[in-house]
Amino acid sequence: MIALDVRHLSKRFHSGQYPAVNNVSFSMQQGEILVLVGPSGCGKTTTLRLIAGLERPDSGEIYLDGQVAASREVFLPPEQRGIGMVFQDHALFPHLNVYDNIAFGLRGRPSVEIRQTVHELLDMVGLEPLVKRFPHALSGGERQRVALARALAPHPVLVLMDEPFSSLDTDLRLEMREQVRSLLKAMNASVVFVTHDQEEALYMGDRLAVFQQGQLEQLGTPEQVFQNSATRFVAEFMGNSAFLSGEVIPGGIRTEVGLVSQPVDLPTGSRVELAVRVDDLDFYPDPTGNAVIVERIFRGVQNVYRLRLDSGLTLQAFKEHITMLPVGQRIQAKLNPGHPLNVFLTSH
Amino acid sequence: MNRSDAPMPPALVSPWQRLRAASNRLTTRSASPVLLAGLAGLVALFLAVPVVYIFLRAVGADAEAWQRLLQVRLWKLLGNTLLLMLAVTGGALVIGASMAWLTERSDLPGRKYFRWMFALPLAIPAYIGGIVHLALLRPRGGMLPRLLENLLGQPVYTPSPLGFWGAAFILILFTFPYVYLLSGAAFRSQHASLEEAARMLGYRPLRTFFSVTLPAMRPGLLAGALLVALDILAEYGTVALLRYETFSSAIFVQLSGRYDRSAAAVLSGVLVGLAVIILWAELHSQGQARFTQMESSWRPAPIVRLGKWRIPALLVAAGVTFTSLLVPVGVLTTWSIQAVLDPETLRSVLHSGSMGFSNFAWNSLWTSFLAALLAITLSVPVALFSVRHPSRVSRLIARVCQVGYAIPGVVIALSLVLLVNRALPFLYATPLIVVIAYVLRHVPQAVRASEAALNQVSATLEEAARVSGRTAVQAFVQVTFPLILPGLLAGGALVFLTSLKELPATLLLRPAGFDTLAVRVWVWANDGFYVQAAPAALLLVLISAVPLSFLLRREQIFK
Repeated sequence: MIALDVRHLSKRFHSGQYPAVNNVSFSMQQGEILVLVGPSGCGKTTTLRLIAGLERPDSGEIYLDGQVAASREVFLPPEQRGIGMVFQDHALFPHLNVYDNIAFGLRGRPSVEIRQTVHELLDMVGLEPLVKRFPHALSGGERQRVALARALAPHPVLVLMDEPFSSLDTDLRLEMREQVRSLLKAMNASVVFVTHDQEEALYMGDRLAVFQQGQLEQLGTPEQVFQNSATRFVAEFMGNSAFLSGEVIPGGIRTEVGLVSQPVDLPTGSRVELAVRVDDLDFYPDPTGNAVIVERIFRGVQNVYRLRLDSGLTLQAFKEHITMLPVGQRIQAKLNPGHPLNVFLTSH
Repeated sequence: MNRSDAPMPPALVSPWQRLRAASNRLTTRSASPVLLAGLAGLVALFLAVPVVYIFLRAVGADAEAWQRLLQVRLWKLLGNTLLLMLAVTGGALVIGASMAWLTERSDLPGRKYFRWMFALPLAIPAYIGGIVHLALLRPRGGMLPRLLENLLGQPVYTPSPLGFWGAAFILILFTFPYVYLLSGAAFRSQHASLEEAARMLGYRPLRTFFSVTLPAMRPGLLAGALLVALDILAEYGTVALLRYETFSSAIFVQLSGRYDRSAAAVLSGVLVGLAVIILWAELHSQGQARFTQMESSWRPAPIVRLGKWRIPALLVAAGVTFTSLLVPVGVLTTWSIQAVLDPETLRSVLHSGSMGFSNFAWNSLWTSFLAALLAITLSVPVALFSVRHPSRVSRLIARVCQVGYAIPGVVIALSLVLLVNRALPFLYATPLIVVIAYVLRHVPQAVRASEAALNQVSATLEEAARVSGRTAVQAFVQVTFPLILPGLLAGGALVFLTSLKELPATLLLRPAGFDTLAVRVWVWANDGFYVQAAPAALLLVLISAVPLSFLLRREQIFK
């Protein structure tokens, strides 16, 4: 069943140079976690707010559970959409305690049901002992869990999460990520999750929607988006690729660090760019090599080396942590991906 | 990549698209911003009408009135008013900022108590302080000269509180707390690291103070100075009492004595023009007033040891408190006791004509309370519109709502007399017109308080309520309102406090026989019955101290 269907959604703000959301379409299944990911200002949060009904679209339609929520004629206000939302700053009501915050969306139901639902959720997020506390007396992780419980309590058709972990520190963020994902999966919730953190996106999402400048660049599983990037931007943003120029030859691509043999759907002689990540490049010391080490970055389990090719391009490659090579060392670099690389036709 | 949808140049956006974009902006976020915009616009209109009307009257006054005033009066009044404004603002800045440094950044003994002592003169209307100091220092028959003459057996010269120097002295004493409170807050919010950075870069302590500490708190100082300046432009009681003629007192005379309305309108137009310039500067300085920010890594700057300067500093601080707080309160208390002990005086205190003491007190209370309630109610739609729907329109409306700061009480009175006579004659000679004057003048304070309160409440709280199934109105009632209520109460307390002290508008607009505490004190004191006026004055000060201490206690430091 389709939980959310977004068609040709656009929104331009008065102050914006280009549309905040530009003709975006996607749909998602019941029980799916869809992550909207992209750099700040890419339109992912505006898309989320449009789905919530907190902004009104300029054009396009939104269907929730098959019902129209926004179109040219219809605009359901947020309170009539039956959506749960977890805000970036959690937005817990400071004048209400944990219990009343979670019960806030349950107004109008029998009090027995409210009590039962709130306690179920408290139990699920493990906050039963803190039920009488007020938000200011909670830690960051506890606030996070109350916000999640409040959003889930009315059993919404859709849960929206706007960078929910960004206010937590790193260790807690990793821990909450795992807890929240398994909780959402256990409840079979349909979730739209916004983040600018590519690693978080890869972990959380069943599917990823990569945004840039208001446009949807690619929609796919984490593996597809990472390994089969549809555009140069997606390759660059997901996995911090560097770009190596090359020329298509029969059976592969010729670059300054060697031949890559992989099938290419482009005419021979085309100028292309290859997306190269740290694990795609190998090198060994060689006084007559084609590159030089300019920096070694010690990352604990591995050493990341910045290598300057003779063409002036800088690439990164890693070695295990016991291999220490000095800066200035001449090396021979060569591509050794073990899988097809993302290839893009050079623009201009 | 496909770049065909590059941003359209502005010229290609049709008016229709712009209109649609505008209506979209208005209708997002909340269900009824059009209604809200309308309400806020109405409030702004209500507040702007009296000022605009006075300007029109001033411009439209016959050429002869302008001629007559321009020949001599206007320039003299302008000189007098500006001179007093500069002197008082300068004096209040020096005293306010230095006392703030002593209580916030030095090890002045008893600085916890001095904080209260320096803030509390705000509960004493300047004209009541003026009455006390006048009775003490008057050249002939003053208490101090007489005492000295009795002691020494011959007349001794004492400085007179009359005229420019007296007025400046009194007004500095009772306006410096504005600067004190604002610069105190600026001193407190300063990062320790700011001065530490200057020291690490090779600045010695004194140079650090003048090149880093003081400039960093410029917005706070400026805001305080401009508030004082606006206050001086509006001041009537003190300058009238001490016989120093400014715009306000000249307008008052034209209105009550000679009853020359076109001259009054011309003078008012010039005065309001002057005040609007200062108000504009004040609003402008507000925009930049955020040099200093409380961050999580904030540490208070270290306390400076006064060392051998401890005793002189203590003497100066005690002197300021003595003249601005202890003398007025002490003298009023003594007189009140005298009044109560003397049966004849007590009788005239308790009954003047058909009105009793409790009538004055009650009139003061209900008019000020009603004004506070109305001002807060009017401020909420304006604040909601400007904080939650920022746009050029909402900013303009919020600005217009600040205009009351620039209309002195005498001008409000003149404007209302003229307007009400024309448009709403049934209001004339009812106490309600007094309340309207208070509201017009004090709504700006309420708007600022409501905006500050609303800025503390994140918009995501309202959005969270909306997605949890509440309409815009329900979200306001159930979430926003309970959270901003303390801020609204603070705004109300401020309006109540300033309305209680308001003198000239009350004098000019009250129906015959409708006396408030402020009016009674003024009338009695002007007739020379100081002892008789004292209980009412003391009561006024004590009532004012209640909302003031409520306001001060909201600051962490006054706990």
